[in-house]
Amino acid sequence: MSMKRREFLKTTAGGAAAFTVLRGKAWGQAKPVRIGYTLSATGPYSVGAGITQGPNYTLWQEQANAKGGLLVKGEGRRPIEFISIDDRSEHETAVRFYEKLATDDRVDLMLPPWGTAMNFAVAPIANKYGYPLLGPTAVSNKIKDLQLPYFYALLQQPDQIMGAFAGILKELKAQGKISKIAIAYVNDLFGIELNASAATALKEAGLDVVDVKSYPLGVKDLSPVLKGFKAAGVDAFVGLTYPPDNILATSQAKEVDWNPPVWLAAVGTAFPFYRDRFKGAEGVMGIAGWNPKVKSAGAKEYFDAHVKKHQKEPDRWASAFAYASLQILERCVAEVGLDRPKIKGMVDSTEFQTVAGPIRFVKGSNVSTPGMVGQWQKGEFEIVWPKSLATGTPVVPKPAWA
Amino acid sequence: MSPTLVVDIVVGGLITGGIYALVALGLNLQYGLMRVLNVAHGEFLMMGAYLTYSLHTAWGVNPLLTLLITGPASFGAGLVLHRLLYARVLAGEAAEALESRSLLLSFGLLFVLQNAALLLWSADLKGYSYLAVPLHFLGSVFPANRLVAAAVALAVSLAFYVFLQQSFLGKAIRALMQDPEGAQLAGINLSRVHGLCFGIGIAMSAVTGSLISMLFELTPFIGLPYTVTALVVVILGGLGNVAGSLLGGLILGLVETASVYLAASDIRLIASYAVLSLILILKPSGLFGR
Repeated sequence: MSMKRREFLKTTAGGAAAFTVLRGKAWGQAKPVRIGYTLSATGPYSVGAGITQGPNYTLWQEQANAKGGLLVKGEGRRPIEFISIDDRSEHETAVRFYEKLATDDRVDLMLPPWGTAMNFAVAPIANKYGYPLLGPTAVSNKIKDLQLPYFYALLQQPDQIMGAFAGILKELKAQGKISKIAIAYVNDLFGIELNASAATALKEAGLDVVDVKSYPLGVKDLSPVLKGFKAAGVDAFVGLTYPPDNILATSQAKEVDWNPPVWLAAVGTAFPFYRDRFKGAEGVMGIAGWNPKVKSAGAKEYFDAHVKKHQKEPDRWASAFAYASLQILERCVAEVGLDRPKIKGMVDSTEFQTVAGPIRFVKGSNVSTPGMVGQWQKGEFEIVWPKSLATGTPVVPKPAWA
Repeated sequence: MSPTLVVDIVVGGLITGGIYALVALGLNLQYGLMRVLNVAHGEFLMMGAYLTYSLHTAWGVNPLLTLLITGPASFGAGLVLHRLLYARVLAGEAAEALESRSLLLSFGLLFVLQNAALLLWSADLKGYSYLAVPLHFLGSVFPANRLVAAAVALAVSLAFYVFLQQSFLGKAIRALMQDPEGAQLAGINLSRVHGLCFGIGIAMSAVTGSLISMLFELTPFIGLPYTVTALVVVILGGLGNVAGSLLGGLILGLVETASVYLAASDIRLIASYAVLSLILILKPSGLFGR
């Protein structure tokens, strides 16, 4: 059936009229602030991205839009629109998309992807096009060597983290609770850097490291390493881990009948998933940075809002920093608008009060948050080091594995 | 070398190797018999693992008993997939085209299964504890769950080997592996046996997954490394050779474990590929290949 010419004209004219009306209406509303990013929904990075960053991005967007949008200086509130894709944990996919965000979509702001390597990959692009990028999951001593003025790292870096590890271990040794330390680290950039920082920090603290073992990413059996440490009489295990190997090491320690007085590991311990997986994980220590008991303004409200929206708790390390990075952006946009060099100027020169405590950047690194050690105690990841920020006291030796 | 170290290496190697053998057997049935290089093989392992995880955590079913569900369910799924997808691709194609087409099809299947798992279970790590207790023997200590998983895997592999040697269907499968045309002339229904073998292969992968779920955390992306390992074992043992896959799996497990104990965890992969290269140089058709 063919459409008659007259009918065709009528339909088209009607459509065009409707289009004009709708467009007029859209113009009446505030234009959205367009924010671009990639996160890994698939591939090896998806676990961390889905715990630490994704839920905070969507929580923040929902909260801001519920208030009518992001307050932009001189323009009132504008709704937040995200432009994002799954980067499939591939660096080149992320790099291409950030390039497209800058040149094609011309987004107003950018948020970082998840993980140190991903941040390293896209930071030069954000820097090239002058987008301030506040990374809550980039941990590397090399960040300051990159000399990318538009990149900011919120999390504690390896030297600070290992400084905290050495601090608490030194005190425990002075109390006569431990004497022999052994380190197992994942053999990639992250683990190698942490291990290098650990060697320096532990040596300075006068601690005796009896064994150091590395293992590859994706390791399936850590029992040889653990059996070796057990045979050497190690009483403080330090694991410089990613989440999967952290969980593997923890379950295998119990399986080879080894329960050292101190079990201290890196990434993964602060996940509520870890606590639930090991029936409370009582006494297990790890890298910390935050829990709902810290004194920062809005910490408890943030925790409750996160649980309400996602039906899961934020992790006890980087989640709050991911949310803090958004609070920082929000405040800058409210005070200087969407002019990115001005945002950068403000990020460089301001101390921000966030859910994760005060944050101030010097040459792109957050200098306000010290390295911290946490310990699972009765369902909460208590901060046990440094003492000035502690929400609990360390329990050593740890109880038997549940 | 102390006796404890020998025990550690041999038992540890058999534990790893038993699991490798079962997952490789499944792949060998598909690749050795049908020239279907099923790169989604590991995805069925992942699905089996998640099924066991869900049955165990939601209804408290004993993980070992879930084999009775994951096995038959995946066998059925394999039959259906073969009928719907592979049978059409396999019908009347020259061998070369067949391999590349089935490869494409399997890649598609890999993405479909991964994303289905992502929707159903999300990318969060999932896991549970089962038999996570130490067993002391011969002066060393081993995780009970790994011993049980490896024992079940080896038992299933051996049962399948006996089935191939003794049963009528097993003989038909071996005949097809040896000489497809001759076997058909003798009255063996090629497409029916292919379907069954595809189903059995998938079931073996899923059952391995059920066993693995007792040991490792799950994500939708755990499958591919097992496909790669299975492929190494299949090549090591010889294409289409069931005993070869069994022994190949055990050898690979022993080599990997020995390298970890005697050198370092980091050289595990290097050692296994070195052995593979060596065997391919000395005997290109695999250890037991003809």
